[in-house]
Amino acid sequence: MNLVAALARAQVKSIPVGWLGQSPAFRIRWALVLLLAGMPVFLGAGDTLGTIKQRGVLRWGADAEGGAPYVYPDPQQPERYIGFECELAGALAAQLGVKAEMVQNQWDQLIPALQRANFDIILNGLELTPENQQRIAMTRPYFVYAQQIVTRKDTESLTGLEDLKGKAVGVLSSSVAQKLLEKAGGIGLRIYPGNVESFRDLRARRIEAVLLDLPIAVHYAKPDGSLQLSGVPFAPGYYAIGVRKQDPELLAALNQAIGELSRNHTLDRIYRQYGVWDQNQERLSDYQPVAVADRQPISTLREWPKYLPLLLRGALTTVELSLLAMVVAVVVGLGLAILRLFGWAPVRWFAQAYVEVMRGTPLLIQLFLIYYGLPEVGIRLNAFFAAILGLGLNYAANEAENYRAGIQAIPHGQMEAALALGLTRGQALRRVVLPQALRLVIPPVTNDFIAMFKDSSIVSVITMVELTKVYGMLAMSTYDYIGLGLMTAGIYFALSYPASLLASRLEAKLRYDCR
Amino acid sequence: MIVVENLVKSYRLTPVLRGIDHVQERGETVVLIGPSGCGKSTFLRCLNQLETADSGRITIGGITIEGGRPPRTAAERERQRQLRQRAGMVFQSFNLFPHLTVRQNITLAPVVVRGVPPADADALARELLIKIGLADKAEVYPAQLSGGQQQRVAIARALAMQPDVMLFDEPTSALDPELREEVLAVMRRLAEEGMTMILVTHEMQFARDIASRVVFFDGGRVAESGSPEQIFSNPQQTRTREFLSKVATR
Repeated sequence: MNLVAALARAQVKSIPVGWLGQSPAFRIRWALVLLLAGMPVFLGAGDTLGTIKQRGVLRWGADAEGGAPYVYPDPQQPERYIGFECELAGALAAQLGVKAEMVQNQWDQLIPALQRANFDIILNGLELTPENQQRIAMTRPYFVYAQQIVTRKDTESLTGLEDLKGKAVGVLSSSVAQKLLEKAGGIGLRIYPGNVESFRDLRARRIEAVLLDLPIAVHYAKPDGSLQLSGVPFAPGYYAIGVRKQDPELLAALNQAIGELSRNHTLDRIYRQYGVWDQNQERLSDYQPVAVADRQPISTLREWPKYLPLLLRGALTTVELSLLAMVVAVVVGLGLAILRLFGWAPVRWFAQAYVEVMRGTPLLIQLFLIYYGLPEVGIRLNAFFAAILGLGLNYAANEAENYRAGIQAIPHGQMEAALALGLTRGQALRRVVLPQALRLVIPPVTNDFIAMFKDSSIVSVITMVELTKVYGMLAMSTYDYIGLGLMTAGIYFALSYPASLLASRLEAKLRYDCR
Repeated sequence: MIVVENLVKSYRLTPVLRGIDHVQERGETVVLIGPSGCGKSTFLRCLNQLETADSGRITIGGITIEGGRPPRTAAERERQRQLRQRAGMVFQSFNLFPHLTVRQNITLAPVVVRGVPPADADALARELLIKIGLADKAEVYPAQLSGGQQQRVAIARALAMQPDVMLFDEPTSALDPELREEVLAVMRRLAEEGMTMILVTHEMQFARDIASRVVFFDGGRVAESGSPEQIFSNPQQTRTREFLSKVATR
């Protein structure tokens, strides 16, 4: 990745100079520069510990968004981070004789980011599982966690994994809880990008329970009077630090540091300080490393019959979503355009304000407001309708502008001729102006439709599982980003290209000026 | 038939019509001439209610509309549409509906506005197309027609509403000279059949041939009015003489 980026950057700079016109010596010099630009990626391998000591900083990857009590912005001083892992990182760095620096990264993308050398280690509730160990090296554990079911206070008898069957249950994306429930089967799994959103939906009665790691449950659910920890924690496991496989020296140094912190009770002190210490932590010393066999990387392209149907199921959701959202966008957009052109003044202002506000604010925020904000005023939409509404109302602003431009492009004489014949304004609009305008706007509307088709992936933030989300989930479990990526891109293209063909066919069919 | 009383119209602060009075009997063909910007076209557009006069009164076929402000109530709008249906309008730029066939251009208003059954409207369209000599073009789109043919269709489209009066706003100005005659021929025939017409034109020879009365507009007023013979051969006003001499030498 880095090499490619460096090459691309170097070439952009060199090409305008006239690459082919230059002397051979110049070209060789540039080739060397390009090679060297890629070198650090290879040189860096195997000696991250040296790099850390030289730099004097241990860069640790974590997600502070909804990250309490692991690592989160201090409510008193939001520019600084606190949390038990934050303390731990500091203590570990001190053992190595360096300072710790947190690098923010979305939680379910921590492993790929580590492999791309965005930071030196992962220290963020990463579970010590064979799946993770096949991908990266992991230190000895530093914390014992367990799974905890959280429900609303008024919910009874959801205390074990068996009770969750047939219920809508929220989990954190690619967490152990997700894998646990997937294995159990028969559970209405709802996957969230963060911890805050799942509790919000639990309170909003969109889901019946949340299954998650005990420290999170203790931190978020216990102080909340409307929620309860239901049943006893189960399925204990270890958190450990993730390190690239090429870094055995770093791994050894961290193992030693964790051992020291455990022996001198620094770990206990930190965990007690954040209220996450329990009896289970005594099992840390019982840990015996288990050898994990390297598995051959999965080629999803070769095993496509297994993966393609899953992707296609996601694609079906994407298609349904974008078609329905487009209907909303077209109907609302046309209405807005007509109001803006022909309405009386206050209505015109409203239509214009709508367009400006919807165009001028991010779709992501609009989706959050519709899905998580509206329940607070008593309007509770399910994720599918919220997604359609969010996408549709957002794109309606674009469509309104398309239609307005289309209507205004029709010569005024058309309206006059229709009025002169005795048609009402409405009749003239419907029979004369709009049919001509609609044909004019086919290309921009098609363009928007295809853009929306691809933009629709954003609705995964409100728990919709569509094509891109399926891709992300499969890629996370197989680590075959390229094979799955090619398949997913292929599906998107196979669906959007016919749409543009259909549009040009329609355009040709509605052609009346040079038949 | 047509009575216009003291019609006044300004665009912002520029007066365009400064008090026009006009009375026209059924079957009369009135030709409006005058320099550009003298208010001829605005006068036609007021008659057809594409413009609202600032003051004055228009009566066509028994429907009266006062100037002053655009219609606001449903009743006022209905009366405006009544007036429009009595006055057929032909534009300089034809303004045919490009997405409809020739036949659909003609039948649209009868079907939509007057509720004529589509079959009857089609029969009417056929009849009108024969009259303008385009019987074979019913199913083609306007873009496939020459300018002269388009303007003839535009006339048929206005006639399909069976108006009391036909208003022509420089109907041949946008046409090449060799295409003008076919349009003029259609208008000549209409006049002979007794259609009441008001025509704004720069075709002086045609005006002389067809007009029962010629009205010379100047500066938003009727400067002179009379028979074609009188206006063209023996104009009383200096402005009329000046205008005619300029047009003649053009």
